[in-house]
Amino acid sequence: MTSSPRRITALAMGVVAALALAACTGGSGSKPSSTQSGGVVQITLSHGYTDVEAKAVTAQVATWNASHPKIQVKLVFNGGNDGALQKTLAGLAAGSSPDIAYEYGSSMAALAGRSQVVDLSNKVKDPSFNWADFYSFERDAATSNGKVYGVPALVDNLALVYNKKLFDKAGLAYPTESWTWDDFRAAAKKLTDASRKQYGWAYVADGSEDTTWRWLAMLWQAGGDLVSADGTKAAFDSPAGLKATQLLHDMAVTDKSVYLDQGNGNYLNLFNSGKIGMLWTGPWDLSSINSDVSYGVQILPAAEGTHSSIAGPDNWMVFNNGAAREQAAWTFLTWLTSAQTHGEFTLATGDLPTRASETKLDSYTGYLAKYPGDAVFVLNLGNVTKARPNTKSYPQVSQAIGSQMQGVLIGQTAPQSALTAAAQQADTALASGQ
Amino acid sequence: MTSATAPPAAGPSPVHRRPSVLLRVWWSDTLAGWAFISPTVLLIGLFGLVPVVWAFVLSFEQNDLISPGKWVGLDNYRKLLHDPAFSNSVRNTVVYTLVFVPVCVIGSLLVAALLNRRVRGITFYRVAVFIPVVTSTVATATMFNWLLDPDFGVVNAALNKVGIASQGFFRDPKEALLAIVLMTVWGWLGFGVIIYLAALQSVPADLLEAAAIDGCTRWRAFWRVEVPLLAPATLFLVIWLTINSLQLFDEIFVTTKGGPVGSTTVVVYYLYVQAFQFFNGGYASAIAYALFMAILVITAIQLKVGRRLSHGER
Repeated sequence: MTSSPRRITALAMGVVAALALAACTGGSGSKPSSTQSGGVVQITLSHGYTDVEAKAVTAQVATWNASHPKIQVKLVFNGGNDGALQKTLAGLAAGSSPDIAYEYGSSMAALAGRSQVVDLSNKVKDPSFNWADFYSFERDAATSNGKVYGVPALVDNLALVYNKKLFDKAGLAYPTESWTWDDFRAAAKKLTDASRKQYGWAYVADGSEDTTWRWLAMLWQAGGDLVSADGTKAAFDSPAGLKATQLLHDMAVTDKSVYLDQGNGNYLNLFNSGKIGMLWTGPWDLSSINSDVSYGVQILPAAEGTHSSIAGPDNWMVFNNGAAREQAAWTFLTWLTSAQTHGEFTLATGDLPTRASETKLDSYTGYLAKYPGDAVFVLNLGNVTKARPNTKSYPQVSQAIGSQMQGVLIGQTAPQSALTAAAQQADTALASGQ
Repeated sequence: MTSATAPPAAGPSPVHRRPSVLLRVWWSDTLAGWAFISPTVLLIGLFGLVPVVWAFVLSFEQNDLISPGKWVGLDNYRKLLHDPAFSNSVRNTVVYTLVFVPVCVIGSLLVAALLNRRVRGITFYRVAVFIPVVTSTVATATMFNWLLDPDFGVVNAALNKVGIASQGFFRDPKEALLAIVLMTVWGWLGFGVIIYLAALQSVPADLLEAAAIDGCTRWRAFWRVEVPLLAPATLFLVIWLTINSLQLFDEIFVTTKGGPVGSTTVVVYYLYVQAFQFFNGGYASAIAYALFMAILVITAIQLKVGRRLSHGER
């Protein structure tokens, strides 16, 4: 027989490893330990901010903690907002949620109505909270089935960003706020130069929500609607829908004036190297435009007299971890999303104001001076008149449209048959009520 | 064995008392073995077996992965039979597998034969062939996204130079799946080459020598002696690559996202969309189990046919 001590060591190691494992799994599944001691309520806020935004929110929370000894806020980084919904859902399943979490607007339908998600409908009615001060589409995006489940955390919208040098070279006047689709299409065609591989416009054609939401702005510009008023049927297989789809087809297939991005964000590199004349994009892209590229920002062109844009407002959502923490979370959130506090945040980060009254603050002129590209985006908030529906079947509706529009853009599908097919799939998804 | 000279430590000894039964079990090889593998067993059990069983239960439910599910019996499986998007994904997966596996196996064999000689700098070539295998899928896909960009990619620029028109690649529904094959063959080739190289080097030199003495050319010796002896390696590769290509996902997720117009939506990508975009957890689990059964059956057939073939050639 060989020496036994070695075996016992091995056995012991195995047992230790097993115990350590059990301890780990036990820890992650259990609720966080009580966070109330001596009248101090501790709450956690989960977010995906990085860079300047992370610095700004950290500074704001530090200010709060210093002046509010009874409510102490702890920031937790969620690893990036793209995975926030999956993280939150896993947390809900495991029974451990933060008190406040940053969530994409598109995640609303998946979270609304769950028992752990706090219904804020009565809280926002408090006159001092001034709910009506938020832009109406933001309020719509924070609402699901008539109940409020979120407070707007961030707002964006789509506007026309153009390369001034390419316009000058083509002898074109810069886009104006009275541009129509015809003006837009003609300019894109003129900016296109096949021999130099230069395009007038870029469109994200990966068939995802990125493809769908730009088309939605066009649908609204043409006076159309996505779903019927009661939300049970697709309403986009309409003259307006056809008009929007036809424009995509005419520009991408007939004029060949559109660079089709495959969803890897190449369009921004190409815009930087002067290969693309115009983009429909939001303020988040401005910081990635090289300093040597002279660009202008204009509102989107109009089809039927409206320059509709689209916004994807993100929300702060509150989770139920007992009455004391819920109350503390609300008190903090009221402060965080007040015009004064958020105004300071936008000044530090270049984010857009979420409340109309932020544009009346003294600091607003400083904000415009610091971020000149944002002026049109703030103005453009007034052109966001509709919100995407917060229904569980929206991802399916979006996928049906995105995939069909992809077919139109590459010249595979005729506009009308794409609409018919997408509407049929959307109807099925809406009817199943998921 | 020189048992006579060995000290009888474990055997009956008149001097020492026999260790108790408990202690002997404690010391036994079996228990030590289990102790060694217990961390792995626990981890695999927790993150492997539990989800497998759970997914099986889920496949009979309507479940959004969070709220309690609703038992729907075989509904999910019945829905599979009438879902055109699912049959499209099956068709794409089958086409992909039928192209990818033969191309990859034959390509690996040829490259391995080239690398199985004494040439200056052979280690460099071998490493070069293997590097794509250890490169992350996402990096590979990002690189191919740029290489195959229809407007600004190097590949189209090269094609234009020799007078061939630009291709759509990932943007053309007719070419996208083939572009994925091209990309994944690049990524997997090194794996097949390593397997074949190992097998080639275990071919007895005396067999080749005997063939040469009998007047066999180098080429005939390769086909008649080496390739038949590689049958077990080929069988392993075919099964391994088939299983992997039936589970294709990452490359699709990073490049085409199943498009254009569904032309690269393979089964696992469709499963992902159902589970994590539409939150149809039950339906996605049913897809997973359908795929599992398909892989099980296909592998069983391959093993049976493959074993018969490689026995028949001996």
